[in-house]
Amino acid sequence: MAILVDKSSKVIVQGITGGAGKFHTERMLAYGTKIVAGTSPGKGGEKVLDIPVYDTVEECVANHDADTSVVFLPARFVMEAVIEAIYAGIKFVVVIPEHIPISDMMTVRKEAQKFGTIVLGGNTAGIITPGEANLGIMPDIAFKPGRVGTVSRSGSLTYYVADTLSRTGYGETTCVGLGGDPVLGSTFNDILALFEKDEKTKAVVMVGEIGGVYEEMAKTTIEKMSKPVIGMIGGIFAPPGKRMGHAGAIVEGEMGTAQSKLKALEEAGAHIAKTFLDIPKILEKFNI
Amino acid sequence: MRLYEYEAKQLFSQFNIPITSGQVAETKEQAKAFAEKTKKPVVLKAQILSGGRGKAGGVKFADTPLEAGTRAEELLTTSIKGFPVNKILMDEKLDIEKELYLGITLDRVNYKIVVLACSEGGVEIEEVARRNPHLIKKISLDVDQRFFPFWGMSLARHLGAKGENLKKLSQIVVSLFNLFKQYDAKLVEINPLFLTKDGRYIAGDARMSLDDDALFRHPELAEMGIEIRHEEGEMTEREKLARGWEIPYLDLDGDIGMFPGGAGFGIMGNDFIHYFGGKPANFMDSGGGPSPERLARMLILLDENPKVKAIFGARFGGISRCDDFAKGVVIFLKEHGLTKPMVLRMTGNMWQEGVRIFQESKKEHPEIFKNIEIHGIETPIEEIAQRAVELAKQR
Repeated sequence: MAILVDKSSKVIVQGITGGAGKFHTERMLAYGTKIVAGTSPGKGGEKVLDIPVYDTVEECVANHDADTSVVFLPARFVMEAVIEAIYAGIKFVVVIPEHIPISDMMTVRKEAQKFGTIVLGGNTAGIITPGEANLGIMPDIAFKPGRVGTVSRSGSLTYYVADTLSRTGYGETTCVGLGGDPVLGSTFNDILALFEKDEKTKAVVMVGEIGGVYEEMAKTTIEKMSKPVIGMIGGIFAPPGKRMGHAGAIVEGEMGTAQSKLKALEEAGAHIAKTFLDIPKILEKFNI
Repeated sequence: MRLYEYEAKQLFSQFNIPITSGQVAETKEQAKAFAEKTKKPVVLKAQILSGGRGKAGGVKFADTPLEAGTRAEELLTTSIKGFPVNKILMDEKLDIEKELYLGITLDRVNYKIVVLACSEGGVEIEEVARRNPHLIKKISLDVDQRFFPFWGMSLARHLGAKGENLKKLSQIVVSLFNLFKQYDAKLVEINPLFLTKDGRYIAGDARMSLDDDALFRHPELAEMGIEIRHEEGEMTEREKLARGWEIPYLDLDGDIGMFPGGAGFGIMGNDFIHYFGGKPANFMDSGGGPSPERLARMLILLDENPKVKAIFGARFGGISRCDDFAKGVVIFLKEHGLTKPMVLRMTGNMWQEGVRIFQESKKEHPEIFKNIEIHGIETPIEEIAQRAVELAKQR
């Protein structure tokens, strides 16, 4: 078992005819991801890498029973594309592009909740269930099937955490990238709750960073979890008022400092790792 | 993007939110002329992109045109909260009965728009929230919710409005909400909202902050003379150079040059260097899939910084490829030359190809590799960070 995506997921790529869409479709296919179709309005009937292209998501669902979508479109088209997917019955959408307008993402979140759809991103590296499916832009080399789940706002940190888990023999159930934008389709709360219910996941590593309050909000979920949660926060030495790469990674006033996030995680009972090498040391204490 | 008061008021007047017929002055003479024309006492307000202007001395009053000129000159030759004052907004001084507050903002936690009214205006709303939270009334709405007038009525009542004034004020709330939505704002505030002695509501100040990521929807702003600005505050020369190359870069005050991959690891790598007793000279983000040329430029930013004593490099090839990474480093070594010691780790997508590029280039030009130590997946990143700290201390 895994969360959100596995080898039976029937995946479409929205924006499959674009440069990034095509490039990553090839990579995802090579990993074994079951990509059944793609969309590109006006290009219905064409094929990309032998995958049929449709004008609408509706057709992908009708003809291929698609249930999952990865979006590779410019930010300004994302809201409409995701809502189209939601109304067509897609249950899980991964938004790779960054800089989605905040009100667009809030609208997406509302529509998604109406239909019970889960949306990841924007500005996420994607999600991978090692050995089964890879949705997005993450490198295969870091990941091995195993028993620890990971959730992070950053792609590069996901690779380092997974690499550490793979090399120490724990491996991963599913690795989830929430995304680096200021307002996201899913929060730590949503993903932690899914890991808690997943039988195969024995522990969760959660990596946060400065900015926003998604890490602080996770406190209420972590408190209720039976599985160990290992928490890591980036930006302890970040200068206030400066944006560090991710649009969401900026400390404004007292909100979103690394200290407030660490405090919330500690109070919730999470185990704090300072470096990646701390992660296997903490896991050793649990019989997993 | 934050707007200046005079820009926000342009948008206010489009939405029929009452403002005074003020005027922008850039010189002492313009300020004097405005006061002469008005024939009344005036207020002069420094146009800066920061709140708390009044407390910081950015608002002045003048009874005569002569005094207006003097006050204008004072303002135009100072900096307030670190912002140089280039423009002042001149308004006639009003007879104020009461100062109120209206604000709309986004609640990122609950994915809502929040409309706030407070019967105590002219002070920071955060302060009132701490001291007298009962003075604030709040309405939370879904982002796609139409704003009905009864919500405006409810907030206007909270602000003490009655009769005709209740209708007028609730219409202001409705207009402010529509303005917020129309321009994809993150924040709109009227603080203070004046109630004058003769019973009029007038926006005393106007604060607006727009979502940078939605600016593409608003070409009309440029037509109104509101230029798109990127807010970085004061930039160092190197930060300006990096911006020209479109590399997210910040100068920090340490001596270890940071050459990381993505933003997330850039933030965490900064912490690692601190844990091992060092201090980074910068933050940098390569962005997804950087070209070899871009990578070479990133190294130029570090090697040419006189404060940098050693360079810490990390590449976990995801969307970015290790062969491109190696190519970039080699271009830099050949064309520029590395004067600082550098330790780097490379793994991920196409790492074997990256290693091959390094090996071949080293066979040809062993001399350009003398300052560089290259590691692969077998060495934990923590050891690389430690080594960078050691190298910096040796210099």
